[in-house]
Amino acid sequence: MATLPLRQPPRAEFQRLETLWFQITGTLCNLRCTHCFISCAPDNHTLEIMKTEEVLRYLDQARELGVKEIYYTGGEPFIHKNFFQILEYTLRFFPASILTNGLLIDEGRAERLAQLSADSPYTLEIRISLDSYDEQKNDSVRGRGTYQKILAAYKRLYDHGFLPILTVTEIEEYYDPEASQVGRYDKYVQLLRSLGVQQPRIKIIPVFEMGMLPSPEGPKLVSQEMMEDYDHARLQCSSSRIVADDGVYACPILVGEAPARLSRDSLQESMRPCDLYHSACMTCYVTGMTCKNY
Amino acid sequence: MRVLNLPDTFSRVVLFGGVYNNHLALEQLLEESRRLGAEAVFCLGDMGGFGPRPDRCFPYLQGDGVISMAGNYDLSIAQGLDDCGCGYTDPRDNHFAQISYDYTFANTSPRNKQWLGTLPQAVRFRLGPLQIQLCHGSPRQTNEFLWESNSPDHLLWQFTEECRADVVCCTHTGIKWMRELPEGRRFINVGVIGRPENDGATHVWFTLLDHQGGDLVCRFHPLSYDYRLLAQEMREEGLPAEFVETVLTGWWTTCLEVMPGKERRRGKF
Repeated sequence: MATLPLRQPPRAEFQRLETLWFQITGTLCNLRCTHCFISCAPDNHTLEIMKTEEVLRYLDQARELGVKEIYYTGGEPFIHKNFFQILEYTLRFFPASILTNGLLIDEGRAERLAQLSADSPYTLEIRISLDSYDEQKNDSVRGRGTYQKILAAYKRLYDHGFLPILTVTEIEEYYDPEASQVGRYDKYVQLLRSLGVQQPRIKIIPVFEMGMLPSPEGPKLVSQEMMEDYDHARLQCSSSRIVADDGVYACPILVGEAPARLSRDSLQESMRPCDLYHSACMTCYVTGMTCKNY
Repeated sequence: MRVLNLPDTFSRVVLFGGVYNNHLALEQLLEESRRLGAEAVFCLGDMGGFGPRPDRCFPYLQGDGVISMAGNYDLSIAQGLDDCGCGYTDPRDNHFAQISYDYTFANTSPRNKQWLGTLPQAVRFRLGPLQIQLCHGSPRQTNEFLWESNSPDHLLWQFTEECRADVVCCTHTGIKWMRELPEGRRFINVGVIGRPENDGATHVWFTLLDHQGGDLVCRFHPLSYDYRLLAQEMREEGLPAEFVETVLTGWWTTCLEVMPGKERRRGKF
């Protein structure tokens, strides 16, 4: 009986470990956004909260390996009860970024973050997610009342000396591909300026059709032919890894996906080429390294 | 990557990067270098972009005592690439970068483009007993941004190890800084002379390295030039008003999105 030949996915070259991410609170989040690529929610325990000593152990490995910068994501990082202790340790040695929905950033936390930033020679970047300049549209994705809380958190951090990066997904285009996006960037600039922000920072990122957001047309995959003459450095997995409570994965989007897990406990072991087997690899292939700040 | 190994041992050298077509600052720099008694002057690359009349810089760069290396801009121009390869990720930054690149490419003579293609991407020499290595962005990547606040000590140390150098110097970001590392090693971003460094002042910066009294001295020098004349030339060439504003005010108006928050907070935009 004839069998179909197995498709061999192309491989991404591994160049160096420059950026290390932590899925610090696993898939646990205080929100339940309709587009979350790993379906984070208050009750999703697929990936658990990381143990503090584990995070510190990986940070020490990262120093040895010459990692340039650290990113904390989740879930919602501020759910972690030792997050400030971890941040303090991180900022002794690395520049760091936090991806947050902003909801837990009250006056006290903003103040502590400002102090940590002031005490470090390295930059502390805070990325706050918003999904539309329109309150109703944002709240339909992120939950009722979030728009006002997000903007309040942005302003609070700004008033404490931060220039947070407002991070916007292209979810509006996903839900309404016909809608015009002309002047979209400027609308976010105006929104931040209306809060009194003099130096607005805005990052617009693609959505990944997975998790809460399955692709309506079925998965599209990167082929061997597409990798000819392609600059592998454009791919996140050529220079990044993400650590979760159960091991090290190829990239922040594929965290928790078994084929993307490259080691159970070692950064060194994860520093090898990985398969571009997933439809998310196609998004990364087309849009380039968009997960990083810049 | 082509590395130029100089046999010379110097005791006092001038280093700078990012000319960005600023021939007026370049002329001043060479005069200042002579006055300071520099034995050699090193340009760490990015001759084009931003400013007016690219070909005016080349006679200075090709003069005696000036040793130039290629930055990402120079590699792009020499190879006829579509863009400068600066490494911007933001659409607005890329929009302005493309304007300067297209202008620079159209106004650089074939002969000068060819010359850019002959430049090394790293230079090594001795300063007293010390081994110095120059790169453009970082030793591993021509367009890597090494800002003061995003360059951890352990990474800079690793660079000095890999280069087998006591001092590694880079440019590319447009803002100078220096880090002292264990065992007396240093990592230095030498700054740029093409545009002011986003501090509200109109002067630009270069670096003097001195090894005469037994110790290495690294000194950043401000450099004044006729910025009003440069602004006038930029207007005559039809370059964006945003660029002219930077020359006149000392505040960056573009290329801001690749800058870490710590550096950006010090600026105006």
